[in-house]
Amino acid sequence: MKPEFTKTLRNNYVYLLMIAPALIGFSIFFILPTLMNFGYSLTNWSVYKPNYSFIGLKNFVGLFHDVQTTAAVKNSFIYAIVMTILQNILAIPLAVALSLKLKSANLLKTVFFAPAILSVLIVGYLWSFIMTSADHGLLNQLVQLFGLQPINWLGNPKLALFSVLFTQLWQWTGWAMVIYLANIQSIDESLYEAAKIDGANARHRFFRVTLPLLYPSVSFNVLMSMIGGLKVFDIIFSMTSGGPGYATETITTMLIRRGFTEGRTAYAAAFGVIFFLLVLIVSKAITWSFNKWEEKIS
Amino acid sequence: MNKRSLILLEVVLIILAVIMLIPIYYLLVTTFKTPAEAALSPMGLPKVFMLDNYIKAFTAMNYPRALLNNVIVNVSSVSLLVAFSSMAAYVIARRPEKMYKRIYGIFMIGLMVPFQISLIPLYKVVSGLGVMNSLVGVILVSVFCINMSFSIFLFKGFINTIPFELEEAAAIDGCRKLRIYWVIVFPLLKPIIATVCILNALAVWNDFMTPLLFLQSPSKAVILLEVYKNVGPFSTDWTAFFPMMVLGVTPMVIFYLFMQRFIINGVVAGSVKG
Repeated sequence: MKPEFTKTLRNNYVYLLMIAPALIGFSIFFILPTLMNFGYSLTNWSVYKPNYSFIGLKNFVGLFHDVQTTAAVKNSFIYAIVMTILQNILAIPLAVALSLKLKSANLLKTVFFAPAILSVLIVGYLWSFIMTSADHGLLNQLVQLFGLQPINWLGNPKLALFSVLFTQLWQWTGWAMVIYLANIQSIDESLYEAAKIDGANARHRFFRVTLPLLYPSVSFNVLMSMIGGLKVFDIIFSMTSGGPGYATETITTMLIRRGFTEGRTAYAAAFGVIFFLLVLIVSKAITWSFNKWEEKIS
Repeated sequence: MNKRSLILLEVVLIILAVIMLIPIYYLLVTTFKTPAEAALSPMGLPKVFMLDNYIKAFTAMNYPRALLNNVIVNVSSVSLLVAFSSMAAYVIARRPEKMYKRIYGIFMIGLMVPFQISLIPLYKVVSGLGVMNSLVGVILVSVFCINMSFSIFLFKGFINTIPFELEEAAAIDGCRKLRIYWVIVFPLLKPIIATVCILNALAVWNDFMTPLLFLQSPSKAVILLEVYKNVGPFSTDWTAFFPMMVLGVTPMVIFYLFMQRFIINGVVAGSVKG
């Protein structure tokens, strides 16, 4: 070992000691499994075949020909994208409204945020009771009140994914709203006054002042809800378990089905690798485009 | 905006808030009804508030045991997260060496990459360490695999904003490194410790996948697992199952009612740093 290096090490050992528990734990429970996953994806290991061997990219080839893969990836993306768009379209106006001087603003904020603290699993159960197709579900009783036919919210393959998505909007819009609200309240009042003097009306003030200055929270919320949407599991598990057919099958539900229920471990590992790449591409793309936006407005 | 449209807006928002609360009201009100009454008038108030449903749910879920397990998992996870991630973040934020920047980069992979991709190897690691089917296993996964990166990220952002002088002065006075951290720096971290505690308490409490995969024995079950186990047998009888859901969310609702201002501020602090 070079003498300088031992010297730094001696000066540094307390710091190394301080970072060690986090680093060792993270390596064992995150880095190691991730690396192992890459390795397994190239084998034919399954629960029923304890002796496994290297098979190269066969799992990946298999995945590309598996109709369920396409369905799961497609569903995950539809879910994440629609969720991100709707959640932000709802949360921004709500935040703008609550930033005005309303008497009940604090109470409203508390109420809108409240669903976010509930467990997703239980929210899923509750809403699947509300949405069950039979006539006695609460939502269908409401629908019938308006003289319409009861709707098969979770049983209709075309509708099921959006019914689940609606539940998540109910739960998470308040979370996004609270982040926007804080951002709006940090915008300097004088900017609005200046805009007013320049003759900008409310709509202009929103699109020219508020929205550009919201970019830190827009980028955070978009990134969070895209990644959160792509890894959605609990809500699908409790509302539809992937059905009807594969209508609500997503990447994580399929990963767990293949890996744990069916015991096709290496196959699931390969799917994990694909998931890894997809999330990496998506988050890089989002970060990149928001950096561009930031450059443009500053 | 003039006064009249402000009032109109407020009324609209209040109506919206009431609509949002309907599912919660429905959940609560059903728990006091008989199955027949629940089917007949789902939204009406119960004729008699019967508590039988709750008593049944309480025993079916083995509630005190499950609650205790939850508390053990939460308190240990949150304490370990605060202790380990604050120390690591301190070193990362304060030391100029390149090595620590690289280590930070490694931690940040955990923010982007969902841990679900490597569930199967994780399963192997947990059983290899002999902590499968134990609360310790769930705690270790929650701390190191799921929540460590975000906590380090929050701590590092905060430590970057506090001035260096106090630590220097202490060092000149002959204070040792580890002592500087615990005596001088750690108390200054109070606001971010509160944020880390709240966000992790919510995340760990509401996490279902980890206990589902790593806890099988009934005596180790946490509350969400108990709810999950009972959904099959009770799904035809809503009035028996709904109280389990209420019992499942009650601890977090109480936490929210007492801490709502801090929870909301914590969420905001956590994301503005992002």
